[in-house]
Amino acid sequence: MGQLDKTKWTAEPAISVALCYGLAVVSVAAALGLSLAFTHFHLPQPFGAFALSAIALTFWYAGTAPGVLAAVLSSIVRDYLFEPNTSTESRLLFDLVFLVFAFLMTRVARVRNQLELRVAERTAELTQLNDNLKREIAKHNQVEAELRLSEAYLAEAQRLSHTGSWAWSPPPGDIRYWSEECYRVQGFDPKGVRPRFETFFQRIHPDDQARIAEVIERAVREKKEFEFDYRIIHPGGEIRYARSVGHPILGPSGDLVEFVGTIIDVSDRRQAEKERERLREAQADLAHASRMTTMGELTASLAHEVNQPITAVVNGASTCIRWLTRDDPDLGEAREAASGVIRNAKRAADIINRIRSISKKGESKRQLVDVNELIGEMIALLRNEANRYSISIRTDLDTELPKVMADSVQVQQVMMNLIMNSIDAMKNVDRTRELVVQSRRAEDQYLMISVSDSGLGLPAEQEKQIFDAFFTTKPHGLGMGLRISRSIVESHGGRLWAANNSPHGASFSFTLPIPIGVSEQRSKPSDAHTNV
Amino acid sequence: MSCKKETKLVAIVDDDDSVRDTLQELLRSAGFPSRGFDSAEAFLTSGNQQETACLITDIRMPGMSGLELQSRLNAERCKIPTIFITAHGDEEMRFQALRAGAVEFLPKPFDDEVLLESVRAALER
Repeated sequence: MGQLDKTKWTAEPAISVALCYGLAVVSVAAALGLSLAFTHFHLPQPFGAFALSAIALTFWYAGTAPGVLAAVLSSIVRDYLFEPNTSTESRLLFDLVFLVFAFLMTRVARVRNQLELRVAERTAELTQLNDNLKREIAKHNQVEAELRLSEAYLAEAQRLSHTGSWAWSPPPGDIRYWSEECYRVQGFDPKGVRPRFETFFQRIHPDDQARIAEVIERAVREKKEFEFDYRIIHPGGEIRYARSVGHPILGPSGDLVEFVGTIIDVSDRRQAEKERERLREAQADLAHASRMTTMGELTASLAHEVNQPITAVVNGASTCIRWLTRDDPDLGEAREAASGVIRNAKRAADIINRIRSISKKGESKRQLVDVNELIGEMIALLRNEANRYSISIRTDLDTELPKVMADSVQVQQVMMNLIMNSIDAMKNVDRTRELVVQSRRAEDQYLMISVSDSGLGLPAEQEKQIFDAFFTTKPHGLGMGLRISRSIVESHGGRLWAANNSPHGASFSFTLPIPIGVSEQRSKPSDAHTNV
Repeated sequence: MSCKKETKLVAIVDDDDSVRDTLQELLRSAGFPSRGFDSAEAFLTSGNQQETACLITDIRMPGMSGLELQSRLNAERCKIPTIFITAHGDEEMRFQALRAGAVEFLPKPFDDEVLLESVRAALER
């Protein structure tokens, strides 16, 4: 009987005890029955042998105490049923035999129990090992499933990003691994046979082959990383653009084992970059056209602005000649006049440079700029235009402003547009015409520049449309000025908006972000509150 | 109010400092005393009209323009011989200025001899 049966008995002790002692009674009864049957058929009386079998059976299956009971019962049965007339010595001998047999069976049962215990322990160990093994297998299966999932994600990521991975052993080796995306990028069938290096190389545009061969040869020779851009000719003749990066794997002795790397199809990116570049150029052209349109409107004012210092130069030069051509030349006065000529000629040159810089068409160049300086320069250019309509310009500038990273021409274009709009809004009003340009620090690391006027205010119920393309209230306006201005400001990371003033007029404000780390670079002290 | 010229002072009204200053220097080199004003309003409030024998004024200025200044002086019966200087000169403006009694209408930049001759002519009036 196994360990499990004993465990079952232990679980129901009353039943198991009854069964054990019952087995003793039943086995002795069976021995008795068989012996009586033998006697009935005049066969040799075998109760002793049957009794020993019953005792052995009981010891084996029911344990020591039931076994002893079986021995006692057997002795009684034999003494009173089969050998009632036997001498006391003979009975004692039989009892001794049963006793010795019972003792031996006790030992046997104990050994068996010990064996069963060891078997049970070993079984428990094996069961434990089996459980561990099952857990390991489950874990392995889980890892394998995760790996498969990871591979699936990686393959999907490679497909989405058009990035293939590869491993290549230099000659006499060959391509050792190609991900599915490598096949697609290079124009091979992903289900087909892995191409040889020569086959891959043949797909490269003939004009790129020599350059790439040289790059690879050098990388192999120097055991260094490599990177190159190249064109691929697909079987259908389509040309794709790719970039490959390789990293050398060296053995313990420093010998080159293989390169591992990636191939990225950059055709879409290149196309997008081209589109972006075209868009940037179109925006720059539009902005330039807008600037030139505004500058065209300002021709008379700009001519006046240039004419002023030129007039001063001519006056100064005339004065100088006068001092020199007197009967008694006054060199001191002449020198003073000549100095004025130089000063005013420089001023004229500055104005011309400002006009030229805002008129030129060039790439956007961002650098740290002082917005107050830009405001000052722009007002200098537009002052005469304001004068033309008896508009006074007042500035309210925060001299503690940090510099911002911006394209000065573009920011000046925004200022010019806003100031010109304000002049336009005021030139026909009958009240005081005042234009205020304000600079100050706004919240969240921004500067704010505002242009306020006492003009007509924003067109009623069209406050939001003023920033739409082709929206204009001017008879000859294009309706692009504010749209371009907002686009410029937003490309700098800022915001442009408008609001009506009370009781009349409007304010246009825009913000520019202060770059991290430049908050300590202050503007130069300037005429913080001026009327021009 | 009327103006009686008692001196040979030339008043220069121009909002551009460099033009005003260099004009004063030019006049000084030619021996004419002058005084500069950066706006028409500044000239009117200076109380110098009576001693001004010649007025040289820019036309386009913030606030009151040169032509408005001339009208104002005419309205006040203050007949000061006036020379207009401007960077925006056109025929209509010139005609308007001369009709209002201007001595000369000179586009910037102007010839010093022409200006000085005009000043002399104005002072001899």
